[in-house]
Amino acid sequence: MPKSPTPIPAPPVKIQRGAPSRAPAKKRRRKKKRNPFLWFLQGLVRRIYFGLKTGFKFLLLVPVLVFMVAFSYNVDRSGLFQGALAPRRIVDLMLQGYDVTNFEQMDERQVVQLYAQDVPETPEAIGIGSSRVLQFNRENTGVESFFNMGVTGADVRDNMTSYYKMVTYGKAPKVLLWSLDPWVFYGSEAAFDARADADLYNEFLTKVLNVPTDYEEPNQVELWKALADPAYFQGNVDYYFKNRGQATVTDDEGNTIEFNPVEGDPYNQPTTIKRSDGSVLYDVAFRSQTEDQIRTLAAEACMSFNSVHMEGFDEMSQTQIQAFDSFIKYAQSQGTTVILVLSPWHPYLYGYLLTEPEMHKGFFQVENWLRQYCADNNIPLYGSYDPACIEGLQETDFFDGLHCGGTGIARFFPGIPQALADLQNGTLANPLDVHPRTSLEDPNAQPAEGETPDGETPTQEG
Amino acid sequence: MTITWEQILAFLCEDQSMAITSLLFLAFFAAVALINYALPRVLRPYFLLIASYGFFCYDPVNRPLVWVIAAATVVTWLCGLIIGKVKNKAVRVLALLVSVGFGIGILIYYKYWNLLADSLGGSFLSHRENLLAPLGLSYFTFAAMSYTIDVFKRRCRVETNPLHYALFVSFFPTLINGPIERYPQMRPQIQKSRRFSYGRCAGGAFRMLWGYTKKMVIADNLSQYVSLVYGDVSGISGPNLVAATVLFAVQLYMDFSGCCDIALGAARILGYDLIENFQSPFEARTFNDFWRRWHISMTSWFRDYVYFSLGGSRCAPWRHYLNIVIVFVCSGLWHGADWRYLAWGLFTGILAAFGVMTAKLRRRINRWNPLYRMGWFKALWQTIVTDGLFCLTLVFFASAIYNADPFAVYGSLLQGWDGLSGSWAQVSNLIYSSGIDGRLPVVLLFGCFVVFAAEHGGRSVAKWIRQQVWPLRWTLYYGAAAAILFFAAFGQSAFIYQQY
Repeated sequence: MPKSPTPIPAPPVKIQRGAPSRAPAKKRRRKKKRNPFLWFLQGLVRRIYFGLKTGFKFLLLVPVLVFMVAFSYNVDRSGLFQGALAPRRIVDLMLQGYDVTNFEQMDERQVVQLYAQDVPETPEAIGIGSSRVLQFNRENTGVESFFNMGVTGADVRDNMTSYYKMVTYGKAPKVLLWSLDPWVFYGSEAAFDARADADLYNEFLTKVLNVPTDYEEPNQVELWKALADPAYFQGNVDYYFKNRGQATVTDDEGNTIEFNPVEGDPYNQPTTIKRSDGSVLYDVAFRSQTEDQIRTLAAEACMSFNSVHMEGFDEMSQTQIQAFDSFIKYAQSQGTTVILVLSPWHPYLYGYLLTEPEMHKGFFQVENWLRQYCADNNIPLYGSYDPACIEGLQETDFFDGLHCGGTGIARFFPGIPQALADLQNGTLANPLDVHPRTSLEDPNAQPAEGETPDGETPTQEG
Repeated sequence: MTITWEQILAFLCEDQSMAITSLLFLAFFAAVALINYALPRVLRPYFLLIASYGFFCYDPVNRPLVWVIAAATVVTWLCGLIIGKVKNKAVRVLALLVSVGFGIGILIYYKYWNLLADSLGGSFLSHRENLLAPLGLSYFTFAAMSYTIDVFKRRCRVETNPLHYALFVSFFPTLINGPIERYPQMRPQIQKSRRFSYGRCAGGAFRMLWGYTKKMVIADNLSQYVSLVYGDVSGISGPNLVAATVLFAVQLYMDFSGCCDIALGAARILGYDLIENFQSPFEARTFNDFWRRWHISMTSWFRDYVYFSLGGSRCAPWRHYLNIVIVFVCSGLWHGADWRYLAWGLFTGILAAFGVMTAKLRRRINRWNPLYRMGWFKALWQTIVTDGLFCLTLVFFASAIYNADPFAVYGSLLQGWDGLSGSWAQVSNLIYSSGIDGRLPVVLLFGCFVVFAAEHGGRSVAKWIRQQVWPLRWTLYYGAAAAILFFAAFGQSAFIYQQY
């Protein structure tokens, strides 16, 4: 058997009980007396020296941990830090300048959040709002680094948190283009979209606007735990090697992620696509509808108008008005110029609403209040909910009852550089000069084009 | 993202038990080592005693059972004091009997109660549900009993400081998997704590890392396949049963010796040298030599206190063989209250006795074996046979752990063979389906090679690493850390020998 390097229990040795033979007495050396202070100091220095030496050597192993954490953070197969894999793929493609397919399947809110996180340089201008803002793009805003952060069905929480996210990442844009939907001023639950990030909105209200909510600081331990979890690291290693250099990317469960760069002419796609600037380009068929087809869609929207976040909207909410005002001031405090836009409804639809003003009291209050607010606060306001207030607006400028296309936008919005110049030169049009119709009895009320008698009404030019 | 100290503490203390592979244990150990060396040397044993009891009591299951370890300490220390100080032989014998009886009593009460109750048919003792044993029961009771026996046999001076003795019984690195310490070995180290030595600490830290690598990278990954086979042996073919049994031997070694490496490394950092529990057992050339190299602290305990007491080899041959069998049966029982451990002990004992019985005859025959003139062949063949015999006995052991029928395993070992390539296909398919796929099989093979090469000849890796040049040393540090990071099977923290 090889020689043992460390002691193995030796075979029992008997201790002799008899008196041991006395060795010749040696003169014991007298111990030197030690100075207790020096002794203490010596001990302290020794401990500090070896403590530092040991600590330093252990620090040399820290790169292993740093690598683990950094790798887990960046690959992040469960989307704990970088967001879910699918939205991450979309944002990656958009940031590389690609238009992305399969818009209908996108989680737009996550895309917006991830964009705010990942965009390397702050865009000069961003757009917020619902799907009604999604036709604003780099061309019609006139800003090369414009990004449209609108999301389908956006409520007030979506609008505000999109901008808030940009600010929290230190990327507050110079210009905020807000396409205001009337339900922003509606305080009921009906005005809210289930897909919006309520927690983030509560955080925004509590932390920024100092409005008390039931917001609680999220427990970061779970996230932190994943970063320090070697098992999560191993999962990320597997995922990374599996998807590295692959044309199709899979998610955490191995399912293919179906978001890919648009191939060919983006204007000739059979499905709706998300442009690299965040705007949406509808499929060819939807964009090429005849006037009658569009009107049919507008007529269909008449009956369901209130169901779009405005069920029971009889009055503007003071709380929402306050939140809106606070938000505008907050954006201005961040050095952002706010430009408000009112995207028009289809003439047929608006005309229909005028026939039952009692059903849409809240809706009809919004625009006039907003015009007064903009006039009082010198905020640029373009467009109108009332299509009759926009000169030259055609039915073919719409895709359906709710969504105005790029040609329509061009009729009332001159582009961001012009708006900024007007604001700087004091040449902004007076918002109060425009009088949207609120009922048929209204002296300004005009029937919708094509359905009711013609008449004159103050209009706005782009 | 702000993280508070409370959150870090909550994260570390999330699990209710302090598994030796957990971050909590590492944090606990780092704090203990730091404070230990910050204190004056005379205070260190007392601090380590507090830390050991803290470690024991951390698990809520152990907390109500802390009296067991405390009582074992007090009773054996008092008995040792009586044995050492009183000259009347009857009193000394009585104290020894009390001490050993108490140790065996708590072992029976917490470990063998249900085995006894079931054996007696429930008429004398009733079966106890949820029988919970305190952490390290078999280790600390054996250590405590060895002290009083040594004092009785005058092999050890009586310890007058109960706190020093208490540290010996409860020293936390040894509580989980041993080794079973002896007081003469520990006493000088407790009485005079070592000064801090960077070399010792660095060696200890590497030994811990080495142990974690063996346990988490090799043992835990191998267990996926072994548990798959032994989890349900019905329908498993012979090649897979053979492969699983051989891999179980490797798993058991990596698991147990890995934990011992962690314990020895931790103790080394704290300034203590513990008993080496393994001496390259797979390099043994005879079955008895194997058992002198495997779980040394336990086998030497049985040798010193049971085998020698029975007369050892200084008696009639048949009695000698019987002594060997008795020792191995006791060893089997030590592992647990299960008939399969008993059968394992009996089988191993018979093989060991047979080895002794035929030793002379085999030596004589070997002289005429022409192949044995090649030294390397002789060594290789003898090693293969020894390891093969060990694997054969392990079927009982593995069956006890995975609750399988050992006779079904033995019955199927030779069934389902389909030539070399067919059998290999069966084994490799099951290995892949158990989760050992991708680069893992290569890593495991390479890992085993590195471990066996580094530990060749019973080499202590803690000392060996300090003798290497720094580039190699740091390559090994990073290599071991990377192996754990990339290939360790996390979430399987329990050690096989923890349950004993």
